[in-house]
Parts: sequence; C-alpha cells; structure tokens
Amino acid sequence: MSAGDPEPLRVVLADDHPIWREAVERDLVAAGLSVVGTAGDGDKAVRVVTATTPDVLVCDLQMPGRSGVEVTRAVAGLTKVLVLSASGEQEDVLEAVKAGATGYLMKSASAEDLVAAVRRTAAGDAVFTPGLAGLVLGEYRRTASDDGAPKLTARETEVLRLVAKGLTARQAAERLTVSHRTVENHVQNTLSKLQLHNRAQLVRYAVEKGLAD
Amino acid sequence: MRLDTALWRALAVYRLATLLYAAGSMAVYTDRYARPALGWAVLAGMAVWTAAAAYLYSDRRRRRWPLLVVDLALTVGALLSSVAVMTSARIEAGDPTLTVSWAAAPVVAWAIWSGWVGGAVAAAVVGTGAILERGGASQATVNSLVLLLLVGTVVGYVVQLARRAERAYSEAVALQAATAERERLSRQVHDGVLQALALVSRRGDPELAAVAAEQEVALRRLVSAATRPLPVGEADLLALLPAGADLQVAAPASPVLLPSGVAAELAAAVGAAVDNARQHGGGAAWLLVEDDVDAVTVTVRDDGPGIPAGRLDQAERDGRLGVAQSIRGRMHDLGGTVCVESTPGQGTEVELRVCR
Repeated sequence: MSAGDPEPLRVVLADDHPIWREAVERDLVAAGLSVVGTAGDGDKAVRVVTATTPDVLVCDLQMPGRSGVEVTRAVAGLTKVLVLSASGEQEDVLEAVKAGATGYLMKSASAEDLVAAVRRTAAGDAVFTPGLAGLVLGEYRRTASDDGAPKLTARETEVLRLVAKGLTARQAAERLTVSHRTVENHVQNTLSKLQLHNRAQLVRYAVEKGLAD
Repeated sequence: MRLDTALWRALAVYRLATLLYAAGSMAVYTDRYARPALGWAVLAGMAVWTAAAAYLYSDRRRRRWPLLVVDLALTVGALLSSVAVMTSARIEAGDPTLTVSWAAAPVVAWAIWSGWVGGAVAAAVVGTGAILERGGASQATVNSLVLLLLVGTVVGYVVQLARRAERAYSEAVALQAATAERERLSRQVHDGVLQALALVSRRGDPELAAVAAEQEVALRRLVSAATRPLPVGEADLLALLPAGADLQVAAPASPVLLPSGVAAELAAAVGAAVDNARQHGGGAAWLLVEDDVDAVTVTVRDDGPGIPAGRLDQAERDGRLGVAQSIRGRMHDLGGTVCVESTPGQGTEVELRVCR
C-alpha cells in the first residue's frame, strides 16, 4: 500500500503527550495513512471515535479522564483498537485486551513496526507480539482453577508458547506442521475467548447490580 | 490535638473541679473546722497553685522533675495542714481532709510524666501524707492509699499505651506519605522520562536508540518494583531478570513470587543463559516466563542457526554452550531442571524449571 491508495486507512490517535502524538501522526501520514482525529484525553478520544468511526484507534493506556482501558471498552464495537504502552503497565495492557483491543505495541517500537501493526489491526488480525502472548498465557494460567473461566486447548497453549518465545506464525506453523493460517486462527481464538468471557462477566455484574435493563 | 497536650489540659480541668469541690465542702461543713480562717487561707493557696499548675504544665519545656517535685510537695503540705485546720475529733472520726480529691492531682501528673512507676511513687508519697495526717494507718487511710496507687499505676500504664499507639499512628501516616510520594515520582518518571526515552529510541540513530531502549526497560522495572510492596522473604522474579533492547520478555501481568534466594539463583541462571544466547545466537533473544501452580519455567531462545539433533552433546563439549555448566550447576542446587532444545533454523532454546 502507498500514499496513492484510493481510500487510505482512517486512524484516530489518542495520547496525552503532544510531542509523542505529533511524532506518531507524522509517521502514519508519511506511510500513507489518514489521521482523521487526535485526542489528548480519554473522554475526547471516545467523542472523536464516535464522530469519525475510524478503522483503527491507536490508544495510549494512561490518559487523563477515562483511561485507555475504559476508552477501549467504550469504543470496542465501533472500531479496532491498537494499544500503545509506555512502561510497566502489563496489567492495564491485559485489561485493555480483555476489553476488546486486538493489538498491543510498546511505545519504543519502530515507525515501521507501528505502521505494520496499524495495518494488521485494520485488517482484523491480532497484533500478537511475544509480550502479548506471554500476558495471555499468564492470564489463562491465573484463572485455570476458576469455574467458568475459559480454558486453553493443548494446541492453543502450544501455539501461544511458541509465539511468546518469539517465533513468527510461519515458524510456529512449520514446527507444528500445520498451516500458517491455522496458527493465526488459534491465536485469534485465545484472544476472543478472553474477550467474550470478560464481556459476559461485565453483563453478569451489571445485572447483579441492577444496571442493565 | 496531640495526646500530651490533651492529657495535661485534662489534668488542669481535674484540679479546678476538685478545688471547687473542696471549697464547697468547706462552706457546707464549717463546723468541722477548728480554724476556719486558716482553712480558707489554705484553700486560697490551693487555688493559686491550681492556676499556676495549669500555666506551668502547659509548656512541655517546663514539664520537668523540679515542677513535679514542687507540685507533689505543695499538695502534701496542703494535705497535712488539715491537722492544724480540723478538730482532732473530726480527724479521728475519719472525715474527709481539707484537700479531698484535689490531692490526687500530682499522682496523675507523675503518671502522665513518667508512666506507671512515677504514678506509683507519687501515690505512695501522697498516701503516706494522708496516713501521717490521720496519725496512723486506719481502714480509711489504707483504702485511700490503695485507690491512689490504682490511679497512679492505671493512668500511667494507659498513658504509656496511648503514647505507643500515637507513635505507631504517626509512623503509619509518615509511611503513607512516603508511599504516595514514591507513587507520584514514579508517575512523573513514567509520564516524562519514559516517554522521552521511547521517543529517542524511535527517532535517534541506532546506537543512541539501543542505549535509550535499554535505559527505558531498566527504569520501567525500577518504577514498577518500587510501587509494589512484596511479602517478606519473597521476591518478584520479573524484577530480577536481565533486560536489554535485544531481549524481548514475555511474562504474566502480575509479579512472579518466589522465595528471595530461589528467585536470585534462578535469575542468575537465566542471566547466564541470556549471555549464552547473545554470544552464540543471531543477535536477538527472547525470554518467556511461565508461572504455574506447581512450577516456574523460564525459556530463553536465540535466533541463531540452531544445532541439529544429536549434535547437542558435541556442541556442549566444544564449548558452544559455554556457560551450560554454570547454568546446570545453579539449577541443580535449586532442585530444578534444565532442558536444551534446538530446531535447525529456529534457534536454540534453554528451558529452566524450578518446582514451587
């Protein structure tokens, strides 16, 4: 894809650091993507996404007002969310993923990695870095003894471990003698199960508290 | 209000209330007194001392032993003056002394000043004064001695307890303030320094980028470790693992807790494995930490050419797994296991496992 694409990907950028926001915006625009809105706090991020329904929201985790996790929860149905995290916010990253984000990238990732991640997110693929695989594995293990919590199949565990050890989907497929697509499906599944369970828990919580209709 | 200020103020109120009681009982039972005029003079002296004591005890710099000794002496003097004021028949009949419960004030003062021992000493002095005044021990004087001893020791003990509680409370408040300050600092570091380092590592030249990324990882570790109190004797393995721009860490979101010694040894073994991967791999390395109910597993993978099956032993002999021995030694001491696995084209993996 290039700047000459008939319809460039539409991206909204939410981060409370202006310098950082501008730097990322320059990178995305230079790669031929269209930044249709930016926000410096969580509340504005939700408003901008609601008004522009972009293909991807690139979202910082720590922002004034609503946090990245809350923003993700609010807009997960409207757009795809790629989370950018700056520091030891692993718990927040996990929460954002459970709330519906489909990708996570460290802020120190290169401009090329970022553009590639935005494109993959827009295409509906999970941006599954080894770090995210490690977090997801850890979460399944943590809840392993809980009733009703989702479980990993043996094959899914195997795939996640390979991804967490830094193997590409292609390398993992090679090792397991399955297709590249099968590996990606397994990875996607592990994420969907977590998100589904999280949503179900939220609904149950809302019903118990009398918040739902 | 601080505990001490409150206690001394309460004592001043006690002294005033008992002075009024003494004046009242003197006005009602004038016929008991042989020399009422002297009695009123003593009472006037008590009033002066009540006011003076309230003033003198209000400043902690004056609350020293001379003041307490004077307080005790004056009170016992007033108590003994009953002998001159009252008729001897009345004294023998066991009527209340001139000072009534006003005489207990220095006992409370000593108890506040130096705890239950001080309280007991002052009670013994005042009690002895009361016995002398009656011209010998009777049931009434022994009774009041016991009551004074009780007041002195109980007030003293409770004050000591309260002081200890106050100290613990102010320590807790200070600790809370320190924690809040640390959190504020780590937020500052997070919001400013880490963002700047991340930006540098994205934009700068490769060498600068590598340094910035390394510092970012180290700082991030420091910040998240500082804000998370750990159980005594345990350590978070994640905080001890090696870091670097060339090392990607995949780990659970929450701390991986192990006994401090085990965590340190395991981290050292992981460090050796990472060094090995850096030396013999293709430049990048990955680290996977898995925290299970029964074991903690750390896998180190490099992206080197890998070692064909069956040639691992050979490689180990050739020294290509140079530090393998030190890794095995450490893991053996921990009762853990080491497993080296290699897939041609996909690098070499060293799996370190310690049972919980």
